[in-house]
Amino acid sequence: MSEYFFELLTEEIPASMLDGALASIHTSLEKTILEIGTFTPAAGIKVTATPRRILFFLSNVPEKQADHVDTVKGPPKKAAWDAEGRPTKALEGFLKKNNVSIDDVLAEGDYVQVKRNVTGRAAKDILAERVPQIIEGLRWPKMMRWGAGEYSYIRPIHSVVSVFDGTHLPIRIFGVESGTKTVGHRTLAPDWINVTSYGDYQTKLELARVVIDVVRRRHVMAERALVLAKQVDGTPSDDATIWAQWQYLTEYPGLVRAEFRDDYLALPEEVLVTVMRVHQKQLPIRDAKGRLSNSFIAVLDNEADPDGNAAYGNSFVTNARFADAKFFYDVDRKTPLADRIDQLSHLQFHEKLGNYADKTLRIENIVSDICGAATYESMESRKAAHLCKTDLVTEMVKEFTELQGKVGGIYACEEGLPENVWQAIYDHYLPANLDDALPRGLPGAVVSLADKIDTLVGFFSVGAKPTGSKDPFALRRAAQGIVQILLNRDKREVKVGIEHLIAFGMKWHNVTDESVRTDLRAFFAERVRTLLETSAYNFAYDEIAAAMESGWSRSLTDLVNRIGAVKTLRDEANFLSILDSAKRIANITAGHDSVSVDPSKLEHETERRLNSLADLVVDQIAELIRNHHYLDALRSFAALAPELEAFFDDVMVNVDDETVRRNRMSLLRKVGNSVSSIADVTKIVVDRREYRE
Amino acid sequence: MSRLSFQSLILTLQKFWADRGCMLETPLDLEVGAGTMHPSTFLRVLGPEPWKAGYVQPSRRPADGRYGDNPFRLGKHYQFQVILKPSPLDVQELYLDSLRAIGLDLTRHDIRFEEDNWESPTLGAWGVGWQILLDGMEITQFTYFQQAGGIDLAPISAEITYGLERLTMFLSRQSSVFDIEWGGGFGYGPVRQQDEREFSTYYFEKADIGLHWKLLDAYEGEARHCLDEKLVLPAYEWTLKCSHMFNTLDARGAVSVTERVAVIKRVRDLAVRCAAQYLESREALGFPLLQQVSNV
Repeated sequence: MSEYFFELLTEEIPASMLDGALASIHTSLEKTILEIGTFTPAAGIKVTATPRRILFFLSNVPEKQADHVDTVKGPPKKAAWDAEGRPTKALEGFLKKNNVSIDDVLAEGDYVQVKRNVTGRAAKDILAERVPQIIEGLRWPKMMRWGAGEYSYIRPIHSVVSVFDGTHLPIRIFGVESGTKTVGHRTLAPDWINVTSYGDYQTKLELARVVIDVVRRRHVMAERALVLAKQVDGTPSDDATIWAQWQYLTEYPGLVRAEFRDDYLALPEEVLVTVMRVHQKQLPIRDAKGRLSNSFIAVLDNEADPDGNAAYGNSFVTNARFADAKFFYDVDRKTPLADRIDQLSHLQFHEKLGNYADKTLRIENIVSDICGAATYESMESRKAAHLCKTDLVTEMVKEFTELQGKVGGIYACEEGLPENVWQAIYDHYLPANLDDALPRGLPGAVVSLADKIDTLVGFFSVGAKPTGSKDPFALRRAAQGIVQILLNRDKREVKVGIEHLIAFGMKWHNVTDESVRTDLRAFFAERVRTLLETSAYNFAYDEIAAAMESGWSRSLTDLVNRIGAVKTLRDEANFLSILDSAKRIANITAGHDSVSVDPSKLEHETERRLNSLADLVVDQIAELIRNHHYLDALRSFAALAPELEAFFDDVMVNVDDETVRRNRMSLLRKVGNSVSSIADVTKIVVDRREYRE
Repeated sequence: MSRLSFQSLILTLQKFWADRGCMLETPLDLEVGAGTMHPSTFLRVLGPEPWKAGYVQPSRRPADGRYGDNPFRLGKHYQFQVILKPSPLDVQELYLDSLRAIGLDLTRHDIRFEEDNWESPTLGAWGVGWQILLDGMEITQFTYFQQAGGIDLAPISAEITYGLERLTMFLSRQSSVFDIEWGGGFGYGPVRQQDEREFSTYYFEKADIGLHWKLLDAYEGEARHCLDEKLVLPAYEWTLKCSHMFNTLDARGAVSVTERVAVIKRVRDLAVRCAAQYLESREALGFPLLQQVSNV
């Protein structure tokens, strides 16, 4: 068994891109090992990276492919012999090329074929061919050129190490010839290092202040963060985003603790945390009670900070940022939010959709409509709607745009507005994504819905709907947020449907073009389907399609109830008979809408029986549906199955007498329509084997 | 390091880059927002001719002014700009050497290159690179130019932009930019604070909006006139003046969002035409720097 080691030395690669690149390399290497031989559990693939190195190590690789016999295809037999049965030039050429005689040609097939013994290729030859393809073929999110400009990659390439079983395996990546030399840490150990194997590399790089393994760097940092925080009796904030970045920001996993002036703690915590996390990539430290302290942790590509330079620098820059924030905070609080509405009229929302004062007015009106439709008290929601965009003209949000909403909420709280109001302002951008929290209260949910539907209707009405991957106004996210809020069933449940929201939006945008409604419905339907297929609901595509066929835009929670009933029923033994009945009814009565049956025209005993049973059961089902007992309704329908089967056995529907035919169709329609407001079960795709006893 | 002044930093960087084959260019005698807009960068990065230059560029950003009250923010600051074309493979090492030259022992500091790409909508230009952090503070912007005036570049230039005030402040351990020493015992504050205060007042409160719109129109007209006369270098200067008019109007709060997009497009259209015409003019001259450098 053999081993292979590879390192690509580049300039600093963006931290956010490395995980994706490593996963892609891993997949390609698996394919390469399969090409060489069987992928045994013993075969190891290790792929990892530092900011400026991508490296991998393959162990227990078979030395060569197994020898095997190949079938080689030549010219068609028709073209291999001439009219006299003599071999043609084409056949002779083929035999010569493959070094075989005419006796080796296989009897079967329309083409000339011969068997050939193939010697397995050496693993190192395959690797020498594949590795450059894998590395050069990586598709980075943003590529660049350098120097003469002939290559395009994530960053310029400096050196390549390629070692197969202790020996250099020459390859070339974008014109850079491989070798066995690399360098250590950029400033701590910049000299060239010769490596003979992966083990040797690990040891030497560790001495040269490079911890090559990303997982180990992260562990070292995590432990160090605990120690540093403990020195000030605190704990580091739990923050996956920061760790995901830190692990790829340094070769040596160093951390340093620094402090900011403690009078800045009087600033809103959201501001402090955003500056540290987002702008400075620093980790705040909290005390035992979870309160923010004026200490924080910063990353350091060095094992120590002997002169306190990094502590000084980090304090310096964080204090500078907070000084700015403090200035904005003091200026902002001189003007109450309510006095900023005028300024909103100078802030454009979109050239065709007016300014933010216009938008505010629309949001307020839509909020009133939602509260009216769902019969909620609207005062707090309307107050929040009135103020929700005013923070856009505060200095704080101009500087820290990601704090929009939150800053308004904080200022509203400080101005003494009721909790429901300031929280609604604070939360009205929520949820920003699938994992995000919903607004904390009902007013927040209502304002969020109104803001988002206003945006959606507005952009759709001016023809700015998303196309392909282009969604510059984040309309998909807005629609998804609406769906998330409407699916929620706790105390914040907003009892309106998407159809109502679209109508409210169109009303206040003065939109009469019905294509806007059609397009938005389709746009929302897609979001609903996607969301209900996520693990939170785990509905199958066909279950969702079946229930949505019976309507979805009046109430999403009702839709979920109906899908749930279909999902439960499909696991029950009689589901197949329901499906068959429904399908036969649908096929036979295609295009026939009437459900009025003339009992006097029913000839057969079986159809008379079905009709009287239907009269009874259809009413019963209707009652169950009125009470939202969808599963029971479907089960009652299922109970009709034997009678329906008897009907199909005994009664011919497609008879010549039109009156009789139409009467029978009406009977079937009556039965079939009884559950059509729950779901169109014919949309369910079944594997019949599942239902065999 | 304790006696580091603004001018000693400039002198060290000039000497360092001159020793490495850079031509010491002088600042552009027009108002610009960044060293990138100097023809020594924006025009020289176009086409096949090699180029190596270093220069200080006073950079005016009217909207960044804080009346001289904020210890970290300035409406006019100074950049030291290095442009290396084609970008040498050891450009990061060269840069680190420049930090060593100003007295930093890099084994006792933290230096990191974090992704930070650059884009200028008004110049139709973009590049890929990093912000360089010294002990957690951004001191340099490093960019591999990919496109300028809408034209794909080859060879590629590396642009290194040092923030001179920040670096001086940090190295001399001052917590306000107005406390650093410029040189010869003169303080930055006494020399520049009045400038910051007056220009902040002017740009934010007093600049004649109507006049600036008129000037913008006039400068744009003259830039087009020059382009029509195939005088690309004057055309480019008028383009830069348009850009400064736009920045002034923007700081003055006189540009609505819609107008903003429209004005940026007007300036970019000029920059794109200048880039194309510059390239043509150099080609007509036979790309003189191709020969000249090989003769040195």
